[in-house]
Amino acid sequence: MGNSCGSYQRNNQRPKRMSEFIFAINEADLADGGKSLVEVEDRLVLIFRIGEQFFCIDDVCTHDGGTLADGNHEGYEVECPRHGARFDIRTGAALCMPAFKPTQVHECQVTEGKVFVKLS
Amino acid sequence: MTQVLEKIGFHEAGFEALMDSLTQPEWLAEMRRDAWAKFNRLPWPSGRDEEWMRTDIRMFNLDKYALGNGGTEAFPEGTLSEGVELSGRLVTVDSVPRVSELAPEWSKKGVLFGPLSQLVNEYPDVIRPHLMARTYDSGVDRFAALHAAFWSSGSLLYVPRNVVVNQPLHTLLALSDGSADLSHTLVILESGAEATLLAESCSLENSSGGVPGGFHCGGIEMIVGPGAHLRYVNLQDLGHGVWQFGHQKAIVHQDASLQWTVGALGSRLSKVNQHVELAGAGATSQVNGVMFTEGKQHLSYHTLQRHAAPHCRSDFLYKAALQDNSRTVWRGMIKVDPGAQKTDGYQRNDNLLLSETARADSIPGLEIEADDVRCTHGSTSGRVDEELIFYARARGFTRKEAIQMIVTGFFQQVFDRITIESVRDALGLSISRRVREYE
Amino acid sequence: MALDISLEPEQDAIGEINKYNFRTESKAVFKARKGLDREIVAQISEMKDEPGWMRDFRLKSLEIFDSKPMPRWGGALDLNFQDIYYYLKPTNKQGRTWDDVPEEIKETFEKLGIPEAERKYLAGVKAQFESEVVYGSLKEDLVQKGVIFTDTDTAVREHSDLLRQYFGTVIPPSDNKFAALNSAVWSGGSFIYVPKGVKIEFPLQAYFRINEENMGQFERTLIIVDEGAQVHYVEGCTAPMYSSESLHSAVVEVIVKKNGRCRYTTIQNWANNIYNLVTKRAFAYRDAVMEWVDGNLGSQLTMKYPAVYMMEPGARGEILSIAFSGKGQHQDAGAKLVHAAPNTTGQIISKSISKNGGRSSYRGLAKVEKGAKNAKCNVVCDALILDPESRSDTYPYIEIAEQDVSIGHEASVSRIGEEQLFYLMSRGLSEAEASTMIVNGFIEPLVKELPMEYAVELNRLIQLQMEGSVG
Repeated sequence: MGNSCGSYQRNNQRPKRMSEFIFAINEADLADGGKSLVEVEDRLVLIFRIGEQFFCIDDVCTHDGGTLADGNHEGYEVECPRHGARFDIRTGAALCMPAFKPTQVHECQVTEGKVFVKLS
Repeated sequence: MTQVLEKIGFHEAGFEALMDSLTQPEWLAEMRRDAWAKFNRLPWPSGRDEEWMRTDIRMFNLDKYALGNGGTEAFPEGTLSEGVELSGRLVTVDSVPRVSELAPEWSKKGVLFGPLSQLVNEYPDVIRPHLMARTYDSGVDRFAALHAAFWSSGSLLYVPRNVVVNQPLHTLLALSDGSADLSHTLVILESGAEATLLAESCSLENSSGGVPGGFHCGGIEMIVGPGAHLRYVNLQDLGHGVWQFGHQKAIVHQDASLQWTVGALGSRLSKVNQHVELAGAGATSQVNGVMFTEGKQHLSYHTLQRHAAPHCRSDFLYKAALQDNSRTVWRGMIKVDPGAQKTDGYQRNDNLLLSETARADSIPGLEIEADDVRCTHGSTSGRVDEELIFYARARGFTRKEAIQMIVTGFFQQVFDRITIESVRDALGLSISRRVREYE
Repeated sequence: MALDISLEPEQDAIGEINKYNFRTESKAVFKARKGLDREIVAQISEMKDEPGWMRDFRLKSLEIFDSKPMPRWGGALDLNFQDIYYYLKPTNKQGRTWDDVPEEIKETFEKLGIPEAERKYLAGVKAQFESEVVYGSLKEDLVQKGVIFTDTDTAVREHSDLLRQYFGTVIPPSDNKFAALNSAVWSGGSFIYVPKGVKIEFPLQAYFRINEENMGQFERTLIIVDEGAQVHYVEGCTAPMYSSESLHSAVVEVIVKKNGRCRYTTIQNWANNIYNLVTKRAFAYRDAVMEWVDGNLGSQLTMKYPAVYMMEPGARGEILSIAFSGKGQHQDAGAKLVHAAPNTTGQIISKSISKNGGRSSYRGLAKVEKGAKNAKCNVVCDALILDPESRSDTYPYIEIAEQDVSIGHEASVSRIGEEQLFYLMSRGLSEAEASTMIVNGFIEPLVKELPMEYAVELNRLIQLQMEGSVG
């Protein structure tokens, strides 16, 4: 066990800015259908890949503020591992109780094999 | 000696290096080894633990920090001691003692005040019975274990029986950017003794002008003997990049009293457990908490007032004002043990939200196992009253001045309870400086 | 596997300790074997002749149940889920008139005072004996207006579209372990639909009982109050005393639409060996009012926190909760208010009494979501501890993510004032009588909200508890 309190992708590189887009992860490091927890500017976000599309949401279940990182996801939906709230990763919309408020989405952009995120 | 420490990381080799560098009694070495073993056994707290579910520490990385980075920088004077005649003074920078003074009249009377790591070798008989005995549990979580294994420097205040130290003592703990401080505070008042200890922690300014970061993992133990009276003030004004974790506990014996004032202004994230145990009949304690948060700060205070004996009184008041995207978590508990009859327990937490995006969680609690008690708690949350601002502006004040007045008014109730003028002034000034203008 | 339709060896009635502590010999027509697995769940669905979607819902819920850990908070849960009967069908058909109800079941109701109650002014009665509702009636004029008041099993068959639209939307199976359990094995409960603008002036009532030892009771209630409509639903629960644990785990979902009003009153007096683990939650939309009136007596452990989610502006939620814990009992009860929209108002009043080593805990949540401007919420908890062996806890969670709010919480714990006691005793009352009088005064705010017969019954129950003749 490392001395970090969570496991996620750490970008040791200094953030490369593309206007307001910040480098998050290499395209090659995220398989189709996969998701990754990434630290972007002191914030933990989840990045999903579906085919050539990338989506980014806050790692926050709006029901109780807990993390979604360990939740299952299928298609465009991610499920909170604790109480089963589901969110649309494209819009952040809460799809079922016990959550009813959307979680924050962030815009993704892919340039030359790198995924950039614009924090909302 | 601590002075020779150079960049000791929090890993096996670092622990060995620390042990090699320390001059300490064998029982203390054993205590550290035991705590280090606990550290290696325990997991990091996670969001699955009820106590940590509101406090996300996944971005905290211990490997970024090491002990003994600094020790030569200039340090500030401190704000709590302004205009105060002191009986003693202790300054540490990155756990390295820089100033250690105690007026001779007190040392003649047997008062001890100075770096704990040095005094533990000179006065083991005074320290050993209390150090991490009833008031510190190194097994409670991984931070507690780390602290117990790695603590260095720190401060000791010992006041012998019936000695009344009538002028305050002052400690200042300064942390340079990126360094770690694991200082341990031990206060022992023998029966009938009295003292006032003003403790403050702050970050040194970052030479690059950025937000000072670092890691502060502290421990505070206070033993207030029968009939003794202690006033303790703790002002935390660490840089907004500092991760702060602390376990703080006082035990108050028969007919003794403790007034504990907390000013929590700094750090990026704080997770503090504050525990007062009323262990003898007639013990009383008053806790005054002042919190002001801004930016992305996250302050989480978990208080416990434990009534283990009858006829005790505890009174906790925490007030927090929040601006920007900051967040506070206050979780308080009054526990009354079976047999602790005639308990009078009170706790209150009031939150003033100054921005749209601040968030305050308040979780007062009561667990009562005696029937002849009076226990009350309360909590309120609200915003600045626009009507008051309107009136103040009609009288020629700016909006910002009006908000400053309202914030000061909000804290007045807790300021009124603080009996030390310099502390009231320091807190009042620090807070009004921070208030920004909002529409 | 074939259904085990044999009866348990008949047991001697324990005898009438008091009005609420009797048992009637149960002649179950069908009783599924003990335990919980896919087969049992599928069997329950088959027995009820359910549509495929409900069967799938149950099976999925079972998976969720299996995957969820037991709660680590609240009371001590010592449950063996495999040692419980999950389904028992007491009679072959639903009684249409009182005469059709089997004699022994009738006898049970008779002891509970149901028939008198009906004769007085009931608009409808649903009484649940073990797992299925056995008797139901609804006044003709309400039927004419389109009101539906039936058991949930019937609703699945006869009002499938309406039910399916709301079922499990307020409390999905994944919400918590016991909601998942209920979703897998539910049986009975009430389904109420009140059409737009229809105001039902008299309370609709149901009575629940658990009779068979180690018999789980998992009723499922769904209430939909359409725009501008109004209903007051009352349920009472009693269970006879048995030697080994029984489990009651209900799910109650309520939807109150714009300008609607719903009050849900529960007086629960389970036997002292029952685990009572209930999820109750309501959505209140624009300017709607939802009120929970919740009285908890009896049971070994109750964990129940009725919730109101105020989803649209102007909604109001009110929760009145009372708990009485006697010997060996733990009432972990409370309330939740979630302000999700502007100008919503909420109030929680909780009163608890602990006696003879009993433990009462208030556990509650007042939450204001971002954007719920001008939310107002007030929570008041008072606890009485009647002797040094008893215990009282208060855990009110307050989470505020909006500045423009006014949230207050007050709680106090105290004993009966000696002066008060002395005064009453100087007037010639015994200490027990004086204490009872003070306790009755303490819970008065709840009692005055109850329909008369329940108020009388609650007062009598409190009196029995105070005299020590119960528990």
